[in-house]
Amino acid sequence: MQNAGMNIEDKGGDKLVLHVGPQHPGSGHFRLIITVDGDYIVGAKPDPGYVHRGAEKMAEYRDYIQNIPHLERPVIIDATGVTLPYVLAAEKIIDVEAPERAQYIRMIMAELNRVISHLYWLGIYGIFLGHSTMFMWPMGDRELFIDLAESIGGTRVTFSYVVPGGVRNDMPTHFKERALKTFDYFEKRIEEYKKIFFNNPIMTARTESIGIMSQADAIKLGITGSNLRAAGIDSDTRKDEPYCLYDRVDFEIPTRKEGDSYARCIVRLEELQQSMNIIKQVLDLIEPGPIKQVIGGVMRGEPGEAFVRTEAARGTMFYHIVSNGEKYPYRVKISVPSFRNLIGMTHLLVGSKLADMPAIYWSLDYWPVEADR
Amino acid sequence: MNYKLISGILGAFAVGFRNIFKRRMTLRYPEQRLDIESGYTFDAKSNTGSAGFKGRHILYTDKCTGCSLCAIACENIADCIDMVQVEGNWPINPKDIMPQIDYGRCVFCGFCVDACPFDCLFMTPEYELSVTDKRKLVHTPFQLAVFPEKKGNVKLITDDGVAYHD
Repeated sequence: MQNAGMNIEDKGGDKLVLHVGPQHPGSGHFRLIITVDGDYIVGAKPDPGYVHRGAEKMAEYRDYIQNIPHLERPVIIDATGVTLPYVLAAEKIIDVEAPERAQYIRMIMAELNRVISHLYWLGIYGIFLGHSTMFMWPMGDRELFIDLAESIGGTRVTFSYVVPGGVRNDMPTHFKERALKTFDYFEKRIEEYKKIFFNNPIMTARTESIGIMSQADAIKLGITGSNLRAAGIDSDTRKDEPYCLYDRVDFEIPTRKEGDSYARCIVRLEELQQSMNIIKQVLDLIEPGPIKQVIGGVMRGEPGEAFVRTEAARGTMFYHIVSNGEKYPYRVKISVPSFRNLIGMTHLLVGSKLADMPAIYWSLDYWPVEADR
Repeated sequence: MNYKLISGILGAFAVGFRNIFKRRMTLRYPEQRLDIESGYTFDAKSNTGSAGFKGRHILYTDKCTGCSLCAIACENIADCIDMVQVEGNWPINPKDIMPQIDYGRCVFCGFCVDACPFDCLFMTPEYELSVTDKRKLVHTPFQLAVFPEKKGNVKLITDDGVAYHD
């Protein structure tokens, strides 16, 4: 059997095996092997690993600073979300603590990245449901948030901004006014999104009661992030185990009971609003002060281990770093949300129609590069 | 149900129609270029940077001592900085070596700027680095020493309800 490309394999009878991916016919860089019986999917076997680059092994040959640009490559769309837990774990090993202002700026960057990531997902979800306006609008509005993040971090997506001990540079002077202006604009824009996409009967017909994940299944399969919240469980690491200074801000965890594709969509849309609320509160709370605890020389950790769990855009991001006191970490283990949500994908696809595959697949916000690491 | 269906579709069309008359936000790139105020710099004394765009580097050749710390910082990240021999008389640079940067490899993380203890390697707002020949991506110390001219004057503006480049 030739496995490359989109081969169709005859299984005898009415069943066909269909390869979706790995080079992007609506799958991302990831292959999904689907068995169809007529119009219905009877078997789905994900085949991740197409964009595996060994980020964990590479991390063993780089010091704590040099690891930062490498570890944000798996999820460039959520660069702060993936490096923040690494930096928090590295800080435990090096035994430094970031000053208060640095913690607040980290929160701003993490939330801006969540918005950027969710808007990217929304654009992709729109185009895969055949709604090209919903591709253009979020991609355009995402530019505003990239502009804000760029004014702090210096680049459009891969900021390498959070470092052990604090952050690399302070916020620009007029950041608050610019951010509030953007949020004012975008809050009005969310209402337009709702009218053209979320309350649009053509969109709801394609997503409502499609790919239903029950509460029990979500727990059993270990789903995280927005997908878990859409199944009715109000679990959010920012509330459950506050890191940085998330315990000082007040925000809600959007949840839905239905657990279908539409619920996952609307939960992410509401998270955009919550992220902006968090940034607004942080901009009021933030006070002038130092932004970095200076570490002289090469960072060397004490022998030991550190575990950190944070809430990235796609769900719980978990880092386990083992150090033996050398310049380089002994082991860096990343447990990524996309890989966990992959388990749910098989569960959801079996039994649904082939035409509903994009509506289910993209509602999970699966990012192949993150899962492969 | 039927009323909801029709009103939903009409509502979606109405929003789309209203947006036709708004200013579009597209940046018409070669004619318009973004105005980027400053590049990323780093103050070695206070050990903190200042916010700015991480574009092409600028090398102050008169301050460079050839210490190679930028190349060491880059070693395991992109491995794009090479210390090369330069012609001329450099009083504080005994080995006469300065960084040469390969922009085919650079990831613009700016950790080389953080590593420079003499404040002589910074970043500029220059981002148009595409060339027709791969070898031209390697910028020699003297190419890096030229400060780029300012090209753009367009900003991303958000008024209530509209976002546009002007």
